[in-house]
Amino acid sequence: MGIPSAPIITKAFKDLAILNAAKRGMPHERICFTQHPVWGKTPDELKVYVNGDDPVNNKPFMKEVVDALTVPLSDDEKKSGMVSVSVGPPTFTDTADNLQDFYLNNGYTDFLPIILPTEERVDAMMKGTSHHPDEVVGKMAAGAYPPWSYTVRHVAASAVMAGCRPEYFPLLLAVASTGIASLFSSTNSFAFAMIVNGPIRDKLEFNYGIGALGPFAQANAAIGRAWTIMSKNLGNGGIPGDTYLGSVGNNLNYNNVVIAENEEASPWDPFHVQRGFKKEENVVSLFRGLGVVPGQVARGSSVNTAPMFDQQMSDLFSTFTGFFGALIIADPLVAVRLHEQGYDTKDKLIAWLYKNTTQTVKDYKSRNYSYLFEYPQALQGVEPFATWYKLPDDAVIPHFPRPSSFNIVVTGGQTNAYPQGANMSYGVSVSIDKWA
Amino acid sequence: MKRRNLLSLLGLAPALLAGARTQAQPTDKTPKSGKSGAAPSGAQFTALNPKGSPPPVKLIPMAPRLDTVHGKTIYLVDTGFMSGGVLLQQMQIWFQKNYPDVTTIFRKKAGAYMEDDPPLWKEIKANGNAAIMAIGH
Repeated sequence: MGIPSAPIITKAFKDLAILNAAKRGMPHERICFTQHPVWGKTPDELKVYVNGDDPVNNKPFMKEVVDALTVPLSDDEKKSGMVSVSVGPPTFTDTADNLQDFYLNNGYTDFLPIILPTEERVDAMMKGTSHHPDEVVGKMAAGAYPPWSYTVRHVAASAVMAGCRPEYFPLLLAVASTGIASLFSSTNSFAFAMIVNGPIRDKLEFNYGIGALGPFAQANAAIGRAWTIMSKNLGNGGIPGDTYLGSVGNNLNYNNVVIAENEEASPWDPFHVQRGFKKEENVVSLFRGLGVVPGQVARGSSVNTAPMFDQQMSDLFSTFTGFFGALIIADPLVAVRLHEQGYDTKDKLIAWLYKNTTQTVKDYKSRNYSYLFEYPQALQGVEPFATWYKLPDDAVIPHFPRPSSFNIVVTGGQTNAYPQGANMSYGVSVSIDKWA
Repeated sequence: MKRRNLLSLLGLAPALLAGARTQAQPTDKTPKSGKSGAAPSGAQFTALNPKGSPPPVKLIPMAPRLDTVHGKTIYLVDTGFMSGGVLLQQMQIWFQKNYPDVTTIFRKKAGAYMEDDPPLWKEIKANGNAAIMAIGH
């Protein structure tokens, strides 16, 4: 802005604030720290914070604030210019055990043993694509940080580490090309998912039968794991306190939710066809959100003769945040039954769910994501939030902002009619074939 | 990590700036870079550094400070995190009591917390002498 400013941060984000300011060009920014947390505290409790000490600098907090605005600048604070950043040499040489330790201790891994990305293995991985090893694949940011760039060779190293085969490589390059990291800096402990469609499901031997989301096939396991290792290495994500702040964390981050759609057993169009691709194309689609819950917990799930899966799903989704939407993960038995009950397209089911999954305005306004992300949009006139925030508290509104908040994928082994629901929103679909 | 550690390393060990903390402080156990001959203790392997390429950092000089806050106009900007505005209002009360000649103006930044708000920055630069931005959690 060109005028003095004093940023206020709670002490829990000390490292984040200092590092973020440094990465954005102000390594000496005068950050003032308060006690943590601020959220949930009364005005009187926050008055104590204001009148107390900065818990990081151990000086009276408000003196820190006034000093930040008035103490003359040091020479360091006036500096301009460029600082190059190095991540070390291109290769490391040591014994296998020492290298395993080194990669683990430097945060290159998911803290499980890896396949060492030797030059030979990385070269073999890169034979899985026609693209040049030095081709820049994309840019990836760990949350709000400036993005890092990476080449085919970088992606190959992480793919080897995760235990991938060379034939998986085009799919991983497609994921990397989106720049979407599966580890996000938010305090929310986000989870990520990918849907794989097309003939490549069989070529790579994905499991989309019994236990489709479980550890029962190398492609599902290693490709999901690779996404997280790529996120750590390509975009520098997953450093607790710096580029990762999820308070509780998310177990799904180990290998993400990898869903190969059971296109053959589904009565509906495959997910990638819904997104405008041809059925014979190989496509990966990415999602982000909070996690997956089982449909068995929903009300009505004990009805035997006329199962009301639509109602079960609606009940399940009523606990979700509408900000992220709902991804329905339906076993083929569920999908076929819904089809028999009149939902002959995914869109028909989505239209019913959008209309019948509701909430009161009072409940809506009380939700974390409504206040953080949708209320600011309401103030800017963005619909439907602008209208929702003007309605009385007892008005009934849709639980999700729009029909496109819902997505449906079919997978599983038909051992029972159980759906699952992910509080996740759709991001993007990209061609895998482009990276072959 | 203490701020002085970061600052002392800025430009000297830039890997730290990128977040590769351990790598910025190599120990005797750090593998050798590049290729080398076999060591007596075991077979040697050469493996790739998997890290992508961070962008260079453009240093931004900080704005000149005020000689005093007395008589000045200070904007208090709520970025939108829960209770951030309540904290700022307590700071506003503190200024009224300790610096009664300071004019404080409270504003809630438009958009969600991570969104920019150029019209507000323009207003602050035109009408204010300094700004305080507060975050919640």
